[in-house]
Amino acid sequence: MASSSSSDDPPATTRRRFLKIATCSVGCGLGAAIAVPAVGYLLYPVGRRLVTTGDDPIDAIAADRIVAGAPPVRVPLVAAAQRDAWTTVRDVPLGAAWLRRTDGGELVALSAVCPHLGCAVGWDDGGKIFKCPCHESAFAVDGARMAGPAERGLDPLPLTVADGRIRITWVRYKTGGSRREPG
Amino acid sequence: MKIRDWLDDRAGWRAVLHGALHEPVLGGASFAYVFGSVLFFLLLLQMTTGLLLAFYYSPSASDAWASVAYLEDQVTLGWLIRGLHHHGASAMVIVAGLHLLQVAVWGAYKKPRELNWVTGVILLGLLLAFALTGYLLPWDQTGYWATKVATGIAGSTPVMGDQLREAVQGGNEYGNLTLTRFFALHVLVLPALTVGLVAVHLALFRRHGVTPHWWRRGDELERRVQPFWPDQLARDMTAMAVAFALLLVWVWHAGGARLDAPADPSSAFDARPEWYFRALFQLLKYFSGSLETIAALGAPVVVGGALLALPVIDRGPDRSPRRRIVPLALLGVGVIATVVLTGLSYRSDAADAGLGKRMARAEARAAQARALAKKNGVPPAGGTAVFQTAPFWRARAIWARDCEHCHAGEKRKGPVIAAGYNSRPWLRAFLVEPSADAYYGRTKLAKTDKAMEPVEQTGRDLDALVELVYAESGAPDVDAALVARGAELFEQVCSDCHEREPGVASDPGPNFAHRGRPDFFASFIADASAPIFFGERNEMPKFAADLSEDDRRELAAWLVWLRDARPEDVAALGEP
Repeated sequence: MASSSSSDDPPATTRRRFLKIATCSVGCGLGAAIAVPAVGYLLYPVGRRLVTTGDDPIDAIAADRIVAGAPPVRVPLVAAAQRDAWTTVRDVPLGAAWLRRTDGGELVALSAVCPHLGCAVGWDDGGKIFKCPCHESAFAVDGARMAGPAERGLDPLPLTVADGRIRITWVRYKTGGSRREPG
Repeated sequence: MKIRDWLDDRAGWRAVLHGALHEPVLGGASFAYVFGSVLFFLLLLQMTTGLLLAFYYSPSASDAWASVAYLEDQVTLGWLIRGLHHHGASAMVIVAGLHLLQVAVWGAYKKPRELNWVTGVILLGLLLAFALTGYLLPWDQTGYWATKVATGIAGSTPVMGDQLREAVQGGNEYGNLTLTRFFALHVLVLPALTVGLVAVHLALFRRHGVTPHWWRRGDELERRVQPFWPDQLARDMTAMAVAFALLLVWVWHAGGARLDAPADPSSAFDARPEWYFRALFQLLKYFSGSLETIAALGAPVVVGGALLALPVIDRGPDRSPRRRIVPLALLGVGVIATVVLTGLSYRSDAADAGLGKRMARAEARAAQARALAKKNGVPPAGGTAVFQTAPFWRARAIWARDCEHCHAGEKRKGPVIAAGYNSRPWLRAFLVEPSADAYYGRTKLAKTDKAMEPVEQTGRDLDALVELVYAESGAPDVDAALVARGAELFEQVCSDCHEREPGVASDPGPNFAHRGRPDFFASFIADASAPIFFGERNEMPKFAADLSEDDRRELAAWLVWLRDARPEDVAALGEP
């Protein structure tokens, strides 16, 4: 038993060395025992789809309301139900689509999300173009890119017609870049 | 090395570290001194786990329960983090109790350490305040009702009770403001106060050093001095590791922390506080009226006050317990009274058979709520709305209110309606003995000679009649050849009393077209005395006015579902 603190005493020095290493090791072990589960816990949302709506197409509007030659019509897309982590909410607005009918009679839906940085594009009836209010990207009536910082045209949305109603599948594409990828 | 030197030059960290670690421990390091360190470790653990919980918790009356259920049942290791936080609080109460008792027995509150003691007692009070505010946050039944009792006590304060209660609960009723208040107290106010006071407590401890055993003399202590680092810290770290291991075993064994069904103000619930408040809980049973208020508010004030005043009351320089019989005896009486009251509380619960049953039902309900929350998510209306996501929730609630007393149980007046209703076996047994007890045996009609006669057909002919009626339900698995045979038999055996053309009045027995389909049930429930049904022989109440079309359709869907259900399928739905 060391009686008093004397660092010159070899057995005491060895003993203290051991104690220091042991204490640090136990301390690190304790820290790791808490940190490892904590990291797993914190990273739970990574790579999971925690906000989900059904993949079913969303009922938008009667097909005969969209006529050839008329300006595009903006329709809100409202999901019947959305699961957001612990909550299930009904009638959740997801976004909006611009609908028009081509001269050939074909229906086209374009996402109202600007492919530049995600602002909502509007229709400029004077210039007959889509315009983004944020950074002034401009798109032709068929969605093709015309001017401004956007690197691609407006994103088309899948559309079906059943029982005289237009149903649109909502896709939120990644903004930025020229490639169109679902977000 | 250079970076370290640079940092030391600018920040002076070496001196700080040296000051923190190279504290001489008079009399040598000892395991007797670990309690404070373990408590400090547990405090750090509570802060860490509490911070982690805040990543998933949502403090609003409509979200709180759902978010806790989510982190318990879906987030990776969420149950472990919450379990550590929940049981870690209990561990802190235990270790704080031991710490306090040791300091009291050692006489460590005496000059010059009076302020160490006073800050320690206040920290104990803060610990209990943490427990009280944290209990409500999951917004489950236990937390809700136990906290109701606590704010009820606050409300019974003389003179300003109502104002005090409203200040604590944030308005006239429990709701969002109650939660945001408790949350702010629990995660902002109390931690800030605790961190500040712990800093003072530790600084004072460093100023005066550990309190050695009372039987060791000063010169003896001077002769044996060891540094805090590593001699004492090694012992502290060992104790922390042991405490953490025990806590892990505890959490594992308990399966994490309890989460009851979502708070439901309309329900009856046996509110029980955490174990460390059980003594006070039991004490309140012995008082009533204004005495209860005095006991509830007085007991903590008296105990806390006595503890705070201890260094003032017991001022002699001698730390030997033999010279401090009176204060130590009082402390002993306090400890024994607490233990006895706590024991009595648990014993009276154990002796209450009804309580056990109610608790089991509450647990089943909690399990049902959590399973539904995991499967369907919780509607925005809040925790209790999760039950509405159960299959046929609305239908079964109506059933329990309006239908069950006539169609189930011993006091019923009509046929039994349960799993298998309108299935082939059900129809067959009915045709063979329409006035059997499970069928129309309990009706007034069965006691007259106008009741339906048993069908005399057997074997394949009986099968055919069963199939004919079964086919009306729209079931997909119908044998068409048997139905054709049944239709022939119908003309011979049944058509004197029954029609089977849709919409045609039928007398004396009901028209059984579409029998067992949703629209059939919906109109039957509306008015069973309609000409196509029982006419003047009807004994069932009309529900056309009491139940909306939607409600009747919900009920009808439920009755259709019962056809192919087994009793265990119904039981699996739980209580509505």
